[in-house]
Amino acid sequence: MPHHNHQDPENMEDLRINFFRPRAGFMRKEVTIIWITLAAWGVMTFGMPIHLAFTHNDPARTLSEVPYIFGIPAYFWYSGQFLILWFIFLCFFFNILIDWLGSSYRRRR
Amino acid sequence: MEYSVRYTPFFMLACVLIVSLVVGLMSRRQDKGGYGLQVRSIGHANIGAAIASNWMSAASFLGIAGVFFLNGYFAFAYILGWTGGYVLLLVLMGSQIRRFGKYTAPDFVGARYDSSVARVISAVIAIIISLIYCVAQYKGIGLVFAWIFGIEYTQALIFGILVTLAYLIIAGALKAARNPQMHYLVLILSFVIPLMMIAKKLGYNWLLPQFSYGNALRDLPEQVSSSYLFPWTFGSPYEWIALSFTLMVGTAGLPHVLSRFYTVPNTRDARWGVVWGIFFIGLLYWSAPAFGAFARNWMERSGVAFDPVEARAIADIIVIKTAEWVGVNELLVSVLAVGGILAAISTITGLLVTAAGAVSYDIYYRLINPNANERHLLLVAKGATLVLALIVLVIAVNPPGLIAQITAVAFALAGNTLFPVFLLGIWWDRANKYGAIAGMLVGITITFAPILFGHIFPLLRTVLPPTSSALIGAPLVILTMIIVSRLTPPPPEHLRRFLVEKVHSP
Repeated sequence: MPHHNHQDPENMEDLRINFFRPRAGFMRKEVTIIWITLAAWGVMTFGMPIHLAFTHNDPARTLSEVPYIFGIPAYFWYSGQFLILWFIFLCFFFNILIDWLGSSYRRRR
Repeated sequence: MEYSVRYTPFFMLACVLIVSLVVGLMSRRQDKGGYGLQVRSIGHANIGAAIASNWMSAASFLGIAGVFFLNGYFAFAYILGWTGGYVLLLVLMGSQIRRFGKYTAPDFVGARYDSSVARVISAVIAIIISLIYCVAQYKGIGLVFAWIFGIEYTQALIFGILVTLAYLIIAGALKAARNPQMHYLVLILSFVIPLMMIAKKLGYNWLLPQFSYGNALRDLPEQVSSSYLFPWTFGSPYEWIALSFTLMVGTAGLPHVLSRFYTVPNTRDARWGVVWGIFFIGLLYWSAPAFGAFARNWMERSGVAFDPVEARAIADIIVIKTAEWVGVNELLVSVLAVGGILAAISTITGLLVTAAGAVSYDIYYRLINPNANERHLLLVAKGATLVLALIVLVIAVNPPGLIAQITAVAFALAGNTLFPVFLLGIWWDRANKYGAIAGMLVGITITFAPILFGHIFPLLRTVLPPTSSALIGAPLVILTMIIVSRLTPPPPEHLRRFLVEKVHSP
């Protein structure tokens, strides 16, 4: 437990919680795992529509230019099928890491 | 209009409702407290199935297929929004909210921000979210009942809601136990098995219609096929991204989201339950677009002209219509109809109960009558349930959009208000009650301004589509909360200490 000295204003630092300045130790590790997972989530989810927005604007050209997979445009398969799998995988991956973090702290006790 | 009752779904519905009441009655236990803290260990798959069954509303069961039928690729914004949101929820909030220890959104807001004003505002928001979400479910019930009984929408709506309320009241009086895993199994089978038969009838791979619908799209005339496959036919990239983002943050801000993490004794089980939950939900969301694709495919084959107005009118029950048109066994068509109704009824029940609870405990008890006893509060809750159910009915007579769209507005409100408040409440100790109150008020404004004033200022609707306002709204509200919190005194030390010692510690 952090010791808090009421007379010492600088010790107020002890109680800061900030996602962008995580406390050393457990919180920092947890936040790192969160950042990694969020990045993987954000890039994969929004990267595709952003890419499509800039590169594929003309219906006639798009459908003849894009790669196809399983008989449909690759981006279509990506959005409709693959991403859901990716989300499941991300949650799985996140849980494994958090489990590891939790057990490594339990061992320290 | 000819009065033509479809007897098979009618009898199937009656049987299913009665059987579920009987089963619920026979399997009830002495369950003290609403969160069923059972000692026996519950498998993660079971938890996941419960999460998924909770998630399966008329929007998932009926609505998404309809959006895909009308708007092709654009429907993926809904699909990804409603699955990806769970990733956000798990990663950013799950464990932390759980460690905080409050069961409902108003409880959390009241405790974290040490403010009864903030608490009441969040309770009102939770109630409005439930109401909007319910309107979408009611529409589903109205449409399916209209299809079953051959009557027009408004009559079907009133009849359907009476049936729903009767079911709710009887189940409550019998103290029937609910079995979410069975509920999920019934719904997913009701969805996928008829779909497989539809695929088979049309001559596509019936084992995995989730894949073969792509071929059904390719087989359409080129103009039509490309309208479905091209990403921006029915919505701009901004609209697509804004919608999926809104649905994701909305998921992480739904008031009943907290209870997802309390139904099991420990956080780790809850986290793994979510993984299974997304898988189970995914099974539905992988399959839904297939209905729309097969529907259009059948229409083109049979030379049925696609009239946009007519299409929009049936889009929300395209799931049932497809099965009917293609000509699968009548039992399977009925199964789809009954499944849709079950999904809607169970969602309505959950939402009305949450909202009535907020009315009773967070508004009545806290503001009006702090001396009320438990029985009194229960009575208020029951009364509130009926009143809320009627309010929704009035709105649902004239539904303002597709089922999925109406649902999305509820998510927009959640994403603009509760999501920022949860997020900053957990991740920033300096977030205080003034920030929270300001943030929620700004969030409400952002959500409703385009709806109320969109016809006067069309630009509002372009920048903030009612279904998708949280892409701009959530960051704006977060910014508001940061600014206002910094300009006002910090939260009490005991709260900040609690954050450090309990919420962000192993």
